[in-house]
Amino acid sequence: MSGPADAPLPQPELLAAIPRLRRYARVLTGDVNRADDLVQDTLARAWEKRRLWTAGSDLRAWLFTIMHNVFVNQRALARRDQSQVSLDDGEGGEAWQIPVRDGQYTRVELAELVQHVGRLPVDQREVLLLAAVEELKYEEIALTLAIPLGTVMSRLSRARAKLRLAFADAPATMPLKVVK
Amino acid sequence: MNPLPVTDTDLHAYADGQLDASRVAAVEAALTGDPALADRVADARRHNAALRDALDPWLAEPIPARLIAAASGPTDAATRQARHWLMPAVAAAATLLLGLAVGWYARDVDLERGGTPTTFTRQAALTHALYAGDANRPVEVWAPEEKRLVTWLSKRLGFPVNAPDLTSTGFALVGGRLVAGHQNPTAMFMYENADKQRLSLQVRKQPVEGGEVAFRYAVENGVGVFYWIEDNCSYALSGNLDRGQLLAVGRVVYGQLAALETAPRK
Repeated sequence: MSGPADAPLPQPELLAAIPRLRRYARVLTGDVNRADDLVQDTLARAWEKRRLWTAGSDLRAWLFTIMHNVFVNQRALARRDQSQVSLDDGEGGEAWQIPVRDGQYTRVELAELVQHVGRLPVDQREVLLLAAVEELKYEEIALTLAIPLGTVMSRLSRARAKLRLAFADAPATMPLKVVK
Repeated sequence: MNPLPVTDTDLHAYADGQLDASRVAAVEAALTGDPALADRVADARRHNAALRDALDPWLAEPIPARLIAAASGPTDAATRQARHWLMPAVAAAATLLLGLAVGWYARDVDLERGGTPTTFTRQAALTHALYAGDANRPVEVWAPEEKRLVTWLSKRLGFPVNAPDLTSTGFALVGGRLVAGHQNPTAMFMYENADKQRLSLQVRKQPVEGGEVAFRYAVENGVGVFYWIEDNCSYALSGNLDRGQLLAVGRVVYGQLAALETAPRK
């Protein structure tokens, strides 16, 4: 198994990355418990693959990459297994019950915005989150998701167009239960 | 100067604050000349800020113990499967819970017949609502000082109490406090899960010897209370969880207390 030659992952950095991983996972899965499962699987995978991490490189970006891969694999499995609920069904309402600070938007508007993000196709959701919330550079996003830079931009473009549309149309009441 | 035409990528990069400095002037000129473009960029920026506003508070949430464990080193299969405990999809568990619920209901009837006072549930629900709703000071002594908390409460209650470990159900100890009871002081332990849901376990000595084991589920003012008496102690587990969830946690609590046997005999 792991001999002493194995450089362990830096634990303080791993721990420090967890809140962001959880947040990303929560928006990906739309469900608090599934999100933490995903984070747990991601951390386990990171330990398994620790030889692939270059000491000194950006651990967080590497973890996002792993999480993306784990998530994509799990979705593929879930699609095969009909008894599983689709991760894209816009459900998992609890995850969207967000603690919201007072700011430019009202509570309802913010919740609505997050709901809309939750309804974006996963590939667009990922790019938007990494760019807007995690503030990664487009090149880093391309590396993280293993897609060309052009794809990053087109997904970001589509995600933003949908948000604008959704927000322009939606009345400021409860989120609409409309899925495409 | 003849800058390249402004592209869609430029606009996103500008909104996201990662546009190359050499392009900023060109983009800003384009925005000035085209209100629709400016509007798009403004929307993107507002959405970015709003999303961060909405999602940043998640970062401050306590990290579940299982994730801290997962970050500490390679995990074996046994610890990884423990998390499935609460999954409602696990049919066996659901069946088991249903069986227990039926059993509890039957005892509930016995309990009613025995004339056991029900005020404890109401009191427990009110106490829970009062403190669980307090964002900053739900407890008097926080979880890091669990030992001190348990010693203090045991002393005040006159018998040893313990804070059950609910990590298998996703709940972590927040801390605890002493609350006034009907006749005897009550110890309260507060727990919180990753979703910020809180539940509390309240324990107190029965004013009169009952001797019987009883289970009861009640909803008081929207708070679910799972309540039982054993070895002359009453226990109330309260929370805004659905019945199934609360029963699942209750089962863990009950199992741990039964294993500990800390309550006074006689």
